[in-house]
Amino acid sequence: MPFTQLDNAAITRTLSQIADQPGDLADLFLERRERIELPPSNQAPGLLAWRESGLAVRLLRDGRTWLAGRDRIDQQSFRDALRRVARAMPRSAYPDPELDVEPWDGPPRAPELLEFPSTVQRALRSHRSRASAEITLRCHRRWVRVIGTRLASAVDHECFYSLQAELPGARFGTLLTALEPADAERVALSLFRALETRDAEPPEAGRYVCVLGSAAAAVLLHEAVAHALEADTLALSGHPENAVGLHLGTPHLDVFDDPATAPRAVRRTSDDEGFPVVRRCLLRGGVVEQPLADTAWAQRSEILSAGAGRRGNRHHAPGPRSTHLELAPGELSRDDLLADAEGGLYLPAAERGVLEPLSGAFTLWFPWGRRIHKGRPGEAVGRCSLHGQVGDLLSRVTGCGREVRFAGAGWCAKDGVRMPVWATAPELRLDGVEIAP
Amino acid sequence: MKVHESLFAVREHLVGTGWEETEVLYKRGRSRSLRITPEGEVAAFRQEEGWAVRAGERQRSFYYAASGLPRPDTVWPAADGAGLRLPSARPVPRWSPPSSLDAPLLSENEARGFFQAVGRELDTEVPGARLLSGHLEDGSSESQLLSSREVAAAVRHRAAWLRLTATGGGEDAVDLELAGREARQFSPAAVARRLADHLLIARKGAAPARDRGQFLLAPPVAIGLFAALSDLWVGDEAEENAAPYLDQRGRLGTRALTLIDDGRLAGGIFEAPVDGEGQPTREVTLVEEGAYRQPLLSWWQTPTEPARASGCVLRPGWRDLPRQGPTHLYLRPDGSTAVAALLGSLRRGYYLLALEGSVRRQADRFAAPVAGFAVDGGRPTGPIAGAWLTGTITALCNGLLGVARDLTFLPVGGGMVGSPTVLVHGVELRGRS
Repeated sequence: MPFTQLDNAAITRTLSQIADQPGDLADLFLERRERIELPPSNQAPGLLAWRESGLAVRLLRDGRTWLAGRDRIDQQSFRDALRRVARAMPRSAYPDPELDVEPWDGPPRAPELLEFPSTVQRALRSHRSRASAEITLRCHRRWVRVIGTRLASAVDHECFYSLQAELPGARFGTLLTALEPADAERVALSLFRALETRDAEPPEAGRYVCVLGSAAAAVLLHEAVAHALEADTLALSGHPENAVGLHLGTPHLDVFDDPATAPRAVRRTSDDEGFPVVRRCLLRGGVVEQPLADTAWAQRSEILSAGAGRRGNRHHAPGPRSTHLELAPGELSRDDLLADAEGGLYLPAAERGVLEPLSGAFTLWFPWGRRIHKGRPGEAVGRCSLHGQVGDLLSRVTGCGREVRFAGAGWCAKDGVRMPVWATAPELRLDGVEIAP
Repeated sequence: MKVHESLFAVREHLVGTGWEETEVLYKRGRSRSLRITPEGEVAAFRQEEGWAVRAGERQRSFYYAASGLPRPDTVWPAADGAGLRLPSARPVPRWSPPSSLDAPLLSENEARGFFQAVGRELDTEVPGARLLSGHLEDGSSESQLLSSREVAAAVRHRAAWLRLTATGGGEDAVDLELAGREARQFSPAAVARRLADHLLIARKGAAPARDRGQFLLAPPVAIGLFAALSDLWVGDEAEENAAPYLDQRGRLGTRALTLIDDGRLAGGIFEAPVDGEGQPTREVTLVEEGAYRQPLLSWWQTPTEPARASGCVLRPGWRDLPRQGPTHLYLRPDGSTAVAALLGSLRRGYYLLALEGSVRRQADRFAAPVAGFAVDGGRPTGPIAGAWLTGTITALCNGLLGVARDLTFLPVGGGMVGSPTVLVHGVELRGRS
């Protein structure tokens, strides 16, 4: 494990030289990343490997942030970065601490990648599909540690996989925390459904009762709850504190962000600012309880609390973002959810979603779905999208399933920074939502 | 150890251990950026550096990239890739680096002053309008390449990037993204005018009824359309892909259609004597006055005629694998024609300023989400938004009536695509795609 042999006290002393005004916060962010990629079989086979490590020094003062990032971890880089963010030369300088970081442990390896595409292909054939999927599979590993003037976090480690599959007329992408046979079967089933429904007619434009599968509900929560309750998004139209107490959805909605309950491989004990993560209740009974905030926002508010600061990498300043969303289960079985949705749509998974931060306009895109007939998902429908305003949409939630699944996983991009996000959610029923082909 | 010595040491180490095909790339860059929001600002200084190795022989190969300086004592990954062949060194025509590469990066105060100036100009153009956020980044980079086939190249670049979000005061918000060689090239007044146009369209624009006529396409719209046709310009299948769109004389469009890719384009962001594999770049005319000439081809696609290769391998960063693509692909402008002259010649039609999403293309047909103004008697009348410019590629290329002189480039897929404002007919505008 890297970053465990550092002299925390010496680093803190050095940082304190630039945090020389009341309320200043200075920290050192250390990062090591590894990415190993298995390209599709129609390209030159073999694993491609990337390894990188670097640091960033940050000074936060009165709502302004100065950040200096380097792609090396050594004494000289630390000194250069400190000099870049310092607002004035310190009166007395402590000696620069050594930054001896453990070397990489052996060559880049991810043998588990090699077999997975063929396991998916076999599983796809078991669904009587002869289609050949071109799969790009990547292993992502990351170690981070933050040492600041006030606290020093433990080393956090994340490991996950990203998969992209191209089929004739269909495309599928997901994030995975393991490459077990059951994961291959889930991917194969998603590919099979995408193939099976690729020529289906989209539903007619109109308002429908929609039952969202866990994966689709997770994307909805991410866009309509998490993004909408990020302090910087809220600030575009007012003070983030004003959102607390707002009725954003129906009483069915209890939504949390809890990085500590994410799957073990991506579980976090601290955020990317070194603060211990908390189980943050975003919505309780549909009412906003605690928006997502990082240190910069928490410093200027008595209501907002830090612990949700995330960085795309060392070269980006932290921002308030969710990590692992949870929607608390309801009391309805799947049959109950579908029984009251005759003539509606069952939408198992969403491809992507987008929230217009200023207007609250919201769109989710679905690759396919099924018409609900006699309490069951029936005829397939093709590509369609769901539109609405966040407040209106969440007020149309009329039921939550009782079976919670680790369901949502994907890349979230905001301000040009991409990071993985995770979710655990039950199925969700919404009444009278606008669907367009 | 200096950078060149590190590269040399890695290459010698790998060649010495049996990897007859070895290439080492090193790239470092520094950039300064300022991001502003209503509640604060972030000033960042980044120093990025990394290197990448491709090594192999006839049967096997490996790829490895890492941050920092190249290190010969690296524990290399297993060579489980296919056989590797690298390009040989070729003569590189004389080239002088532009002097602007040495200009200092924009300071934090200059960047702050730029945003303040844009804000003032914007408020003048549209009273009550303001910047919601802005991000300005100015950077420079140097890369070095060394291979076992005697390729030895060093390239420097400068690039600046600007993204702004503005609001007219209500729930309307518009984005503007620009790229250039230097941040000091961005004019606050010009940027504010473009934002003001976009705000006006967002506030009052409505989708028109289905309509035909003449269309003046501003650079962002024309660039989106040309970029969507990349399969006609790049790679050894491009000629075959373009064939269905050519007439019996091999013509793709009108005489106003001259498409060029030029890795050495003076003033271009990626102006360089060599491409991402150290092969010489040059000006390649893909379409000349409407006649299809040739696509962009890499060295491996012209094994018997190396001089035909275009030097078109992109490698934007040290993390990126080499891939084929245009460096500065552009529609040749007409230096004698002002945009105002084309607009004045438009009796009834549309001036389409912005592309509001991706261009959809299915075989010959395309649909582009656009916004702009209706034009009557050479003057813009009402704003339109939520519209789709639709038609066929054949009609678009054969309906190109004129081009202006305002050549503008935007970053597309790791390279730059450029176009001046163009006047076309033969396509139509719809409320839906």
